[in-house]
Order: sequence, then structure tokens, then C-alpha cells
Amino acid sequence: MAKEIEIRLSGSGGQGLILAARILSAALTASGLNVAHSQSYEPTSRGGLSRSDLVISDGEVDYPLVTELDYLVIMDQVAAHASTGLLKADAVLVIDSSRVTSPPKGTFKTHAFPLTEIARKLGSGRVANIVALGVLNGISELCTSESFELAVDDQAPRGFRELNLKAFKEGYTLATTGKAVSAPVVSLA
Amino acid sequence: MCIKKRPLSHSIGELDYDPTHLNLEVYFLPPAISADFNRNRLSVQGNHACALAAVAAGCRFYAGYPITPSSEVAEKMSEELPKVGGIFVQMEDEIASMGAVVGASMGGVKALTATSGPGFSLKQENLGYASMTETPCVIVNVMRGGPSTGMPTRPSQADVMQARWGSHGDHPIIVLTPASVDEIYMETVRAFNLSELLRVPVVLLYDEVIGHLIETIEIREPAELKLLERKWTRAPPEEYLPFAATDDGVPEMARPGDGYRTHTTGLTHGENGFPTQDPEEVDRVMRRLLSKLDRNRTIVESFELLECGDADIVIVAYGITSRAARRAVKLGREHGIKVGLFRPITLWPFPQQPFAEVAALARKVLVPEMNAGQLCLEIERLCSPPSKVSRMNRIDGEAITPIEILERVKALESND
Amino acid sequence: MTEASMHTFEIRDYLRQELMPHFMCPGCGHGIALRALLWAIYELDIDKDRLAIVSGIGCSGRVGAYIDANTMHVTHGRPLAYATGLKLARPDLEVIVITGDGDCLAIGGNHLIHACRRNLNFTCLMLNNEVYGMTGGQVSPTTTVDRFTTTTPLGNHEPGFDSCKLAAAAGAGLVGREITLQVPALKNLIKEGINHPGFAFLEIISDCTEIYGRKNQLGESPEMMLSQKASTRSDVYRNTVDQPFRPNAFETGVLARNDRAEYADNYRKHVEKTMDVLKSGD
Repeated sequence: MAKEIEIRLSGSGGQGLILAARILSAALTASGLNVAHSQSYEPTSRGGLSRSDLVISDGEVDYPLVTELDYLVIMDQVAAHASTGLLKADAVLVIDSSRVTSPPKGTFKTHAFPLTEIARKLGSGRVANIVALGVLNGISELCTSESFELAVDDQAPRGFRELNLKAFKEGYTLATTGKAVSAPVVSLA
Repeated sequence: MCIKKRPLSHSIGELDYDPTHLNLEVYFLPPAISADFNRNRLSVQGNHACALAAVAAGCRFYAGYPITPSSEVAEKMSEELPKVGGIFVQMEDEIASMGAVVGASMGGVKALTATSGPGFSLKQENLGYASMTETPCVIVNVMRGGPSTGMPTRPSQADVMQARWGSHGDHPIIVLTPASVDEIYMETVRAFNLSELLRVPVVLLYDEVIGHLIETIEIREPAELKLLERKWTRAPPEEYLPFAATDDGVPEMARPGDGYRTHTTGLTHGENGFPTQDPEEVDRVMRRLLSKLDRNRTIVESFELLECGDADIVIVAYGITSRAARRAVKLGREHGIKVGLFRPITLWPFPQQPFAEVAALARKVLVPEMNAGQLCLEIERLCSPPSKVSRMNRIDGEAITPIEILERVKALESND
Repeated sequence: MTEASMHTFEIRDYLRQELMPHFMCPGCGHGIALRALLWAIYELDIDKDRLAIVSGIGCSGRVGAYIDANTMHVTHGRPLAYATGLKLARPDLEVIVITGDGDCLAIGGNHLIHACRRNLNFTCLMLNNEVYGMTGGQVSPTTTVDRFTTTTPLGNHEPGFDSCKLAAAAGAGLVGREITLQVPALKNLIKEGINHPGFAFLEIISDCTEIYGRKNQLGESPEMMLSQKASTRSDVYRNTVDQPFRPNAFETGVLARNDRAEYADNYRKHVEKTMDVLKSGD
């Protein structure tokens, strides 16, 4: 069976999780992988639990919905425990410690950074989602930074291009070195 | 979504049809992203893939009415059709949308509409008209929870029978049920091909999960799509009979403006197109109408087999459920269970002969569906004894998971 | 078109004679409406190959089949929807809808108001005989109050539609009404409707002698037509003050004109504008 990896980006509505998942999906596609991306369709677009799921494979994706998460990004406390039942025992968690006060506890590998705070220091709290993608890629190395750049060009608003690329790089460096380039690391869980 | 645009070689112009009649220049956008960025691989939502494929298949008319979870088909068509000189119109209701689609097709233009359960019910009257008058058209039904308004944002597979028998009277209809975004693309093209070729309305039936799923798809070159066109008559007008049988049972069609001046009616009509109630004539023309799909089964039927060769247990599944079944088969095989999957892609007419061959070798058949049990009725009909068929149903707006299917397979195996 | 050439109009040139005898009852006004339509088509020199007649269900719907053109007899109430699709897909065709009071105002009412609103360039002839004739004479949205039908055994208690006011209010490009007794006037009104570059709604006051007339003792066809004439007020007299003397009069002639943008024209302009923006690269 082709290896399938399951990723969930979760948080509160309005945090840009759907856009982040689209960018990630495009970047993974550009890296030659097959991606199935699904999300919760609810009548509300602001506030409340929001999630976007990716199942990726180097072959055909069998079942496109997540069943056992390899990676979980939690951007807000509202999403902190919503996905616990789907986590693999050795799942990797990326937590925005600016907005998540009590992350899931277990045998997971947790990477917590104040993503929103870092994003604000970079220029806008709205790119916390992209910082998270940078962290996720720093840990997983699922796609190349070139394909990420193409995906940003393809999917994200043009006015945010430079900021998005900076945010991704910041997140990536955080994950790989534990050090922020342009913002101080506040805490490591 | 930025998509590389390329000239479509199969514009209306190729159909021996004047492309300038709309006074619309055919426009193509410059590539929005660098050409080497996955030129032919895109991340596309299922509903958008349907729209892109329709345009690639030569569809130049869309009429629809907003309804969750199908609206993205309309949205994409409103964006794409003007670029190729086509027409998008949002009508006053579902009924009018279907009427406008059939009207456009009677004018000779390939036409599409999309809806979901409640809207599909409203379309059924004019869909019956399309069946009776043998007017090609493609109808997308993205299935949501029902009955009635039900759960608009949650998936179901509960329109399997409505798609086949929703309209009134005995009528031919083709129902295709893609299970991935890439398959939506290819089956949309096939839907237009079958509809044009056989002059039968084709329903593209898929669940909300597949409709809203974003997956990597291949954008094919137009030449790869093997587009088929309607059989336009070239007979001398004085000899032409608009509903006369040909070798494949499908009459040749006359386009308005070409000098044939035919009559089209939903009343039972003879070969000349005019109403008849003569029992002998009615019997003959109705049998010809209803025989079209049987006579062309080989091109209509489509299905996929996975590990069916030695399977003791055969799962029959379609749409998102077949994706769960696919993984369940692989997991089951890892557990040493002889389990296989029969996946109909053409749901109606059901590929009964190929299925019967597979089912004859299996001791048990499992039919997981996101409804209270619909396709299982057909499966029970085709299995001997029917008692070897087990149903598995979810009606809570949630997809059936691979593990759930695997558990049932294990239980079926240990029950021997 | 001169007076002399009027005489060269030969209705047989426009009919499918193999379908004769026709199905219409003796005294039915629909045949006169058909004649006026074909006369208008003749005078406008419309190519029969380019003529598309879309009709609905009911007595009015059956009229279309007799015309030697591209004829589409569609579902009940939906001819305007089919015609919208056909005209958008094939702007080269001259599309004319033939519908009835039940077809157009009851089951097809939603399509009527939206066809008026869109203002796509085709013509709708609504043959109003105040009754569902083909199904045996049930009450319709235009049945006169207190008249008897098979579903109003005690007399009709519902008020009717003024279809022309409805069409005008919904924005139809041209709205008109005529009675079948005034054949040349009716022919001229149909010509005006076809020539109008937008949606034209024309109400033709027809009569159903056999079912509705008999049930209400309205007399034979001549009596029914004369009583229609007695209650009309032509647009010629629009500015005269006869209203107090003829309280039940209904107006005939062109009743409303709205020269706003035609739908397909407008669509084209919007597309061109959008494409210019897209081509300019943003």
C-alpha cells in the first residue's frame, strides 16, 4: 500500500485555515504528491471550530478523509480537544501557544510556539497560519520551499506575498533551529 | 484557483456551427502561473472539476439555481463559460433551469445543470421530457442528507433510486457515479459523450464529500478526451423521420435552422414526431426508446474490480463509500481475508452481467451505503440466493469509514 | 407591406396540412389567433426554417404543432423557460411562445415574471380563454368572477389576474392586448411584438365556446366575440374619458413599452467588460 499521511489544521473560524490548507495542498501537489483536501462546511464563516484535512500519498489516495492523524495543527483553544480521538499515538502536534492554553496530553510529539505573536511581530497576526505551515514543514519536510513559493503565488492574495514567504521561512527556522529569525521564541513546550 | 487555459479545439465551431453567432470573441487567459508548475496537475474541488470538464467536453450552456452542496458547479461555470463564448444563466427556479437546459440542447448546444436532492425532485418533470424527446443533457446531483431540506451540508447517497426512478413513466436514463475528483472530471466528459451519442439524459450522481473534496487531478489534452457529438442528420428533409430507428436504436437529430422544421413533443409520438395513440405504433416507438441502453450496454456500463478474482466476500460500493471499501479491502487482505470490491461507475443501468459473474463466485456480498438501503435492492435481485447479501447503512450524515467496513467484513468471515 | 400584398398571404403556406383536420372545437378563438400570427410572420418575411415555436400544455399548446416551422411542444407552464434556453443558445432563431392563461399565469407564473424581468428578445402570445379547456373546463386565473366552471359549481369566487399589468410591472419590453375579432389589429400587434428588441408579452382574448361559453350560456362564437368587443377600449381612445360609461372595459393595443437593455445584448457587454479586465492581466 502506498504510504498515506494525514494532516489536520484546526482552530477557530476566520484564522485562515482553509487558505493555509489550500496553499499546503498546492505545494504538496507541486512536489509530486497526490493530495485529498477536505474541510468542515458549516453555515458560519467566523468563530467556532474550523478544520481542514489533508490526506497525502505518493500513489493514489484510497480514503480521502482522515482516520488517524499523523500531524495536527491547533491554532485556538476551541480546537484543542476536538481531534484527540483521531490522533495516532506518535502524532506530531503544532500548537499556537498564544491561543491554546491547554493542549492535548499524551504520547504525542508537541511543538508549541506563540505563532500569533510571532506573526504580529512579522507584520500581521493574520499570517499565523503561514507561520504554522513553516513549522509543520520544518518538522515534516513534506514539500520543498520552492514548491511552497509557487503555491503561495497560486493561491494567496498577491498583496500578502512577501509577508507570507517571510512567515513561512520564520516558521521553518523555528522548527529546525528552535530560534526565531525576526522574533524571539517565547516558549517551547 | 489559477488554471492554465488552452484553446479548446472542440468549440461550437467544430460542430458545424457558427461560433460567432453570440458575437463573443473566444478568449483565453495567459497562463497565470509558470508553465512548468504542474502544467497538467491541479488541486481542484470536485464541483469545480465537473465544471472544467463540462467546458472541455464542449458544454456551452449552463442554467441553474443555487443549492448546497452543488453551487460551486454553477459558480465555476459562470466564470468559465463566458471565456469560451458560452452562456451562463441563473434561472428563477430549478424547474426553469432544467427547461432552459433542454431548450438550449434542442437548439443544438451541449448543456449542463447542477443541483441537489430537493432541486433534483423539481427537475424531474423536464428530465422526463428530455427522456421522451431524446434531447441530450447532463444533470449533476450532489447528494446531501434528506428527505426534504434534510442536512444541506452533510453527505448522503440517498438519491440512488430518485436518480433512476424520480421521473414519471418508463423512461431511459443513465446515472454515473464518480468516486474521486479526477473521476468526476472524466465521468463528466463521458456523461456528455453518452448523452450526445445515445440522446439520453445523463445524471452525474455524487455525494457531498466527493463534491467538496479537493484532490489532485490531471488535466487532459482535448485530444485525449475523445469527444463524441450528436448524430446530426444529413438526410434529405422530405425523407427525414426525426424518430426513426437506426442501427443502434438512436434516431438522428435535426437542428433548428437546418431546413427540417420538425415537431418535438412530450406526447407519445410516432417516427414522424407527431402525437400518436395507435397501440401498435406506440408499442413500437416506446420499445425502441426503452431499448436504447440495453442495445448499447457495452459503451454505457463502467465498473472497477479490486481483488475480486478469488474473493469470498465481495463489497459493492460507490462514491465516497467505495473509497472506504478500497482501504478496507487492502486492510482485509493484510489480515488474510479474501475480500474484493466491485465498484459500479455506471450506476444505472447497473452493470448486472459483470456483477453477476463476480457475485457467483463469492459466498457473501456486503453493500455499504449512506442511505437506508437502496442499491442493495438491486444487488439482492442479482444474487442467488439473495440471502448472501448483507446491508450496511449509515443515515447520520457521516461517511462510512474503512474500519467500520473492515469490522463487518471480519464479522462476515467469522460467521461461517 | 402594401394593402395589395396582404391578399397574397396564403395560410396554407404556413401550415402542416398533413395534420388537418385540426383538433380545435368549432367556434374556438385559437384558430383566429393562429391565423393572425401566421399573417404577421408572412408580412415580416420570417424564414420558416429560422422560426421556432415553443408552446406549453393545453389547447393553446396544441396550436403550435400546425405551424410549418421548428415546433417544440414542451411541458406544462414551462415554454418560457425552454424558450429562454433556446433563444440564448440560438440567437439566430426567431422564437415565439404560444401559451394559455393557465399555462402562463398559474403553473408558469414564475417564469412569466422573470421572462419579463430579463427582457430577452422573444415574443410570448398568451391565448386567454379564461378556462382550462383541454382538461374539461376548470377555473383559471383569468376566469371572470361568478362564472361557472367544473371546479366552481357555485360560480367563481376568486379575482383574476390582469396579465398585462403584471407583465408591465415585471418589466416586459412591450405589452399588448387584442381580441380575436380584430384580426388585422391583432396581426399588427403581433408584428410589433416580434419587432420589439426585447421581451414582448401579448395577451390575445380568445374564446372557448364549446365548454366555457356553453356552461355560462354566453351564446355561440359570434355572440361571445361581440361581447368581447363591447367590453374593449382600444388604445385609439386611450385619452378619451369613456371610463365612467364603460366600467368593465379592458384596454387593447400596445399597453406598455419599456426600452431598457435587451438581456443577451447586456450579457454580451458584461462579458466583454470582464474579458477586458482579465486580458489586462489582473
